Amino acid sequence: MRLDDLPGELILWILIVSELLIFAAGITVMLVLRVGDPAGFGAAQAMLDGRLAAANTFVLVTSGLFAARAERAAARGAKRAARRGLMLAGLGGLVFLALKLFEYFKDYAAGIGMETHPFFTFYYLLTGFHAAHVLAGVAVLALVAIRARAEAVQAGAMFWHMVDLVWVLILPPLYLMR
Amino acid sequence: MDALTRTWLILIALTTASAALAGTGGLWTGAAVLLLAAAKARAILGGFLHLKAAPGWLGAMMLPLVLWLLGLWGVYALSLR
Repeated sequence: MRLDDLPGELILWILIVSELLIFAAGITVMLVLRVGDPAGFGAAQAMLDGRLAAANTFVLVTSGLFAARAERAAARGAKRAARRGLMLAGLGGLVFLALKLFEYFKDYAAGIGMETHPFFTFYYLLTGFHAAHVLAGVAVLALVAIRARAEAVQAGAMFWHMVDLVWVLILPPLYLMR
Repeated sequence: MDALTRTWLILIALTTASAALAGTGGLWTGAAVLLLAAAKARAILGGFLHLKAAPGWLGAMMLPLVLWLLGLWGVYALSLR
């Protein structure tokens, strides 16, 4: 196992691990707090719409496929195909954000705010911070699409897969573990 | 079928399984959704981030991740007592 074996730039792996650690810390603290108020956390969690989160997971993993295809196309010099893949991946990101905004509006209409219950403080912080990464990811994908150089497209795709990875890890404690 | 499409299909299947478990609480459901999350993470790291092709690195990333998920399950179990 050598550092040289890692695909892509080492700095991106440092970023990926750092981001995972930040989200892991948030999720861990939330679950520890749940031990003191399981009924309250359970009731708060039951107010969320898991169907929208599930739909967003399908959207995000599919956009990950387009990002991976773009990376492969850029590596063989097929810039047009790479740009198409990046555009579709970015579009997936925008659909994700639209669904997330819709979910936030629904939550708000149901009277759910950050201070309604400690669960919702973590819910808004974790999903909001993740959504900010999705927005940044869409911008990164658009930027690397301009010249569609292989290294840049690989970096953009790696960032995008990190966003995907974080989402599949925050999903169970927020929506599924009742 | 190419490797990327296979990875995507695995992720879709795992996500479908997770969605099917939504709304049913309990210790073993919690274990199942965390196991599915670990499998999704492995698919993304190995298939999309290409760690399958980097000897030792997929295991090096998955080991702490699985230990952390086990820890989460333990804390979750405490909240169900």
